Amino acid sequence: MSTVSETNSRGHSARRLRIDGWRWGGRAFLVFMLLYTALPMIWMLLTSIKSGFAAMQFPPQWWPDQPTLDSYQKLLDPQNSVGQDFLRFFWNSLIVSTATTILSVIVAVPAAYAFSRFTFPGRNFLFFAVLLRNMFPAVIFLVPLFILMRAIGLVNTHGSLVLTYLTFGLPLAIWLLKGFYDNIPVQLEQAARIDGATRFQAFMLIVMPLSTPGIIATAIYSFIGAWNEYIYAYTFLSKNEQLTLPVGIQRFFSENTTDFPGLMAASFMMSVPVVVLFLLLQRYFVRALTEGAVKH
Amino acid sequence: MAHVVLKDLVKTYGSFKAVNDVSLTINDGEFVALVGPSGCGKTTTLNLVAGLISVTSGDIVIGDRVVNDLDPKDRDIAMVFQNYALYPQKSVYMNLAFPLQMRKLPKDEIDRKVREAARVLDMTQLLERKPRELSGGQQQRVALGRALVRDPAVFLMDEPLSNLDAKLRVQMRSEIKRFHQDLKATIIYVTHDQLEAVTMADRMAVMNGGYLQQYDSPAQVFAHPANMFVASFVGSPAMSLIPLEASTADGGGVLTSAEGWSLALSPRNAQKVARATTKKVVLGARHSTIKLHKSAVPGAIPAKAYTVEPTGDVTFVQAFLSGAIVNISVSPNVAVAPDEQIWLEFDQERMHLFDSETEMALEAS
Repeated sequence: MSTVSETNSRGHSARRLRIDGWRWGGRAFLVFMLLYTALPMIWMLLTSIKSGFAAMQFPPQWWPDQPTLDSYQKLLDPQNSVGQDFLRFFWNSLIVSTATTILSVIVAVPAAYAFSRFTFPGRNFLFFAVLLRNMFPAVIFLVPLFILMRAIGLVNTHGSLVLTYLTFGLPLAIWLLKGFYDNIPVQLEQAARIDGATRFQAFMLIVMPLSTPGIIATAIYSFIGAWNEYIYAYTFLSKNEQLTLPVGIQRFFSENTTDFPGLMAASFMMSVPVVVLFLLLQRYFVRALTEGAVKH
Repeated sequence: MAHVVLKDLVKTYGSFKAVNDVSLTINDGEFVALVGPSGCGKTTTLNLVAGLISVTSGDIVIGDRVVNDLDPKDRDIAMVFQNYALYPQKSVYMNLAFPLQMRKLPKDEIDRKVREAARVLDMTQLLERKPRELSGGQQQRVALGRALVRDPAVFLMDEPLSNLDAKLRVQMRSEIKRFHQDLKATIIYVTHDQLEAVTMADRMAVMNGGYLQQYDSPAQVFAHPANMFVASFVGSPAMSLIPLEASTADGGGVLTSAEGWSLALSPRNAQKVARATTKKVVLGARHSTIKLHKSAVPGAIPAKAYTVEPTGDVTFVQAFLSGAIVNISVSPNVAVAPDEQIWLEFDQERMHLFDSETEMALEAS
């Protein structure tokens, strides 16, 4: 009896030790990844509050001697031309991204629900077709889409970008949301329909609130995709007053090669909406709403 | 409350027939159990009545309306699901209120009815909780409450007890039975557990392979199973079914086993066998109708005990006869050892005879 318990406890502690080794390795990896992703951002922030001269110094100033918000003031000042451009680019990006987000949620929600709940002829084929787009690199579609946009007269409009971003964002949005709907027990809708709801009411009152985390994840995904997209915006738009931020900043960069603080300040402000979105909505990602809905 | 009539109900999925010509009449205030093994079509039948799936052919009548083409919400039914299907984002109170809100009742009336239902089910203190904060039994009770708060014409229950642990299941079983007695509600109850059906239902509809096998009171189904499937499905342990060869000699009937022994039949049983279209008949006997002897008795058949299972108040002995397992129950003070030679005596009054080809019970006249 005692031998048995002895070997047991020894075997146990040996296993524990090994897990600890892995855990330390894991921590080291996480720290490395954190530095790898955070350091460029920190450097961006630090550079943005330096003066133009300090930013070019070598060896670099690790911490700015005279921190200044000049670059931010310049960018956000509607009186000077740089500020006017920046604010207009920002506004353009906001419009394109918001329109893309709203439209992709409006299309993806019913599409994903239909794929999840109904069987209809061609369902599997359609679902595969939806994913087909994602199997090719985006650049492949650049020329065909440009020709298409020219044919329907959308070149040099924000509509061309919204349409393009939708075709790229929707497949994954539908795929993502379908997963959410698959996990919501169909009995909940059935119960609602028996309790007096129409099919649409059951969807709106019961299923929609439960899929909020999925919808928000989808929305953020579409927004970020549209917000950061460069190559299509660069190709489809040529008028200065229509440019979105990524293209605008790139142009800004080539025109003011020496103004690194200004460039970094613009980059920083471009990342603000995305970060704010994440901070505001991240709790929805972790909320496990369906817990307790059914007995597993 | 209302009666429910299913008329020649058929549901097919492609070439697969899930429900085949099922006709049932459920009287006002009756508790009917649909029982059968999984895939027998009982849940499909229930979903057809609920309107969650559409009928292929046949009619469903609730009250005096044919409801085939009505939405679930317009059928005046309530349903309790196996997984309870409580709305996870709503509190218990809002779960109970939902069916009433959907019917646009005034707020104060909703409040009154919800509190009344909560009082009846003894969960007033749980009203503000979310479903995930409740135990399985409590969730079950909320599901029941959501069904009864609206006072529907028919209650549909889809295996409501199968997610509960054994002890709670027995308790909720009597609660649902009590609930039926108090409300005089029309209930259609789906279960795969024949014991639930036998203990709770006024009548039970035994289904298999999409077909209705027998529809009668549990006592009748137990005493007079219509065919071999019903015989082996209802009752625990299952009825023993022994394949034998029938012959008639001098007006009397005899069943002969390939093992060499034979069993003389009573005149009534001989009459049943004589009406069969085949010589191959199956003898069915429940464990309690077989007498076990430890020495040779006239009319008893020799066998060897295979396993012995004491359960406390009764001991089950299993033996092989003609290649079939035979269950016999004996008093726990009868000592039987495995491989011991025993003799089995069948009760002619309570034995069942089946046609081995049609599998139907043989009748005397």
